[in-house]
Amino acid sequence: MKVVDTLLKIFFWTVMVLIYVPIAVMVAFSFNASRSKVVFEGFSLENYISLFSNERVWGSFYNSIWTALIVVVVSLILGILMAYGVTRYRPRGSTILDSLIMVPIIIPEIVEAVTLALFLSIVGIPLSPFTIIIGHVAFDAPLAYLILKARFQGWNREYEEAAMTLGADEIRTFVKVTIPLMMPAVLAAAFLTFIWSYDDFIKTFFTRPTGFDTLPVYIWTRVARGRVELDINALSTIIVLVAMIFTYLRMKLEEKQSTI
Amino acid sequence: MAAGADGVVSLLSRLADRIRRDRRLKTILFLSPGLITLAVFFFLPFVVSLLLSFDMLVRERVGNTFVWILSLQPNLEYYIKFFTSPGTSVSIMQSLYYASFTTIGTLLISFPMAYYMAFKLDRRRKNFVLFLIFLPFWVNFIIRVYAIRFLFHPDGIVSTTLMALGITDGPISIIGTDAAVLITMVYSYLIFMLLPIYGVVEKINKELIEAAYTLGATPFKTLVKVTLPLAKPGIIAGSLLVFIPAMGEFIIPIIVGGGKSYPIGRLIFDQFIKVSGIQGWALGSAAAMVYVGLIVIATYLYFRFVGREVTLI
Repeated sequence: MKVVDTLLKIFFWTVMVLIYVPIAVMVAFSFNASRSKVVFEGFSLENYISLFSNERVWGSFYNSIWTALIVVVVSLILGILMAYGVTRYRPRGSTILDSLIMVPIIIPEIVEAVTLALFLSIVGIPLSPFTIIIGHVAFDAPLAYLILKARFQGWNREYEEAAMTLGADEIRTFVKVTIPLMMPAVLAAAFLTFIWSYDDFIKTFFTRPTGFDTLPVYIWTRVARGRVELDINALSTIIVLVAMIFTYLRMKLEEKQSTI
Repeated sequence: MAAGADGVVSLLSRLADRIRRDRRLKTILFLSPGLITLAVFFFLPFVVSLLLSFDMLVRERVGNTFVWILSLQPNLEYYIKFFTSPGTSVSIMQSLYYASFTTIGTLLISFPMAYYMAFKLDRRRKNFVLFLIFLPFWVNFIIRVYAIRFLFHPDGIVSTTLMALGITDGPISIIGTDAAVLITMVYSYLIFMLLPIYGVVEKINKELIEAAYTLGATPFKTLVKVTLPLAKPGIIAGSLLVFIPAMGEFIIPIIVGGGKSYPIGRLIFDQFIKVSGIQGWALGSAAAMVYVGLIVIATYLYFRFVGREVTLI
């Protein structure tokens, strides 16, 4: 048993290290003095300087963030309403309804992207940031639904019933009791939908108006032209750093909450 | 004025009262925004594409404008064209191969990892490890794949390491090989297998495993008879989460696979990007529908022979 445990440990940490090799190399080369992506020729901050003067990077980064934020808000609203409706009121045929809502999660993204692009073109809806957002919502609302539904099913209704017995009406109970109880699942859903939307390339690529780049689309156009310079590495390094700080703070916060 | 406002208020409160009492109305209010959004921006486009692939939507000139007309005579022209074009069968086989390899590879790596995380780490370490696993996902997918491309470069880390170890004599380029595509795919899809399996293994009651030992089962037998069956819903969920998108993956084949790998996702992508007009659309739709059909068949077979309990979260 001891041997197996040790092997398991070695295996686990080897894989973890391997996961980080590409990331580490990417970070290291963001400081490369030369333009080579395979040979390191000395430390320099040149890539960071050229990054900060590249307006297209920041424009597309900004587009990614604001579209993703709207996607998260809309998806959460729709997801909460659907999850609440399906689990609480159990309408007739709710199992079929439940499967229908989850179909977009199972259908491959490239299929969703091309069918949506075709549809928009046939109906004559011009491409705009709105079409990107609605395309993302069509995937993210079911994703939020999936996470929130699990939460709704998991808790008993006693708290809500107590609130109602004590004289709160249904809307008040929903706002004061149900929503606070949902918060952990809502945060998890917000996190996942944001990551998905912010990182999405395929759907955005097919539903964006020309000239409107999100960060993944901008990076792709550079990859397609073979023009990936190290400023992209610099940007990724900054993103990893920010993500690290955020996640660390969140973890600290959660630890604090769980000790109370 | 005041009387009018009073009227509106009383009307609204009567309406609110009705909604509060009527269960069916409440259900509709809760469900309709989401369902309508999905119907219009997911299901309808899918149906339109399906009709197009069967040549059931045709564009006709009426006066000065073009309109789309539903034709009730489906034909298989585009499907025949799709299946008889020379690259198709190779594409489909390649997609199935990539997706199967990725699913099996991620499963073999994920299960021991999930087992270790769930049984050998305390709560604090678990959180830290989950943080480490999630962190790379903040880096854009295309950048991550591109970063791997440089590792595979003849002067990159993989080649120089192999040379230093004496495994190869000179620098080798791994870019453009199937191995490069497969390694990158396993790398990229690992988390989609790992998380659902971990979610299930973490909830396994450890007393069950101890009971098996106490009753004299060997570690191997405990794994096969107790742990694996309990982890099955997570394994099934992970397999679907990996297999379905892996089959349509085209960014990895483009970036590290060179021109040689041409799975079905790339076929659909190119059809829409490079071929303009209704021909390209209809052919692309047919390819997309074939892809969905293959997934439905694969999922059905999987459910049939492996099991259908799925636990996603």
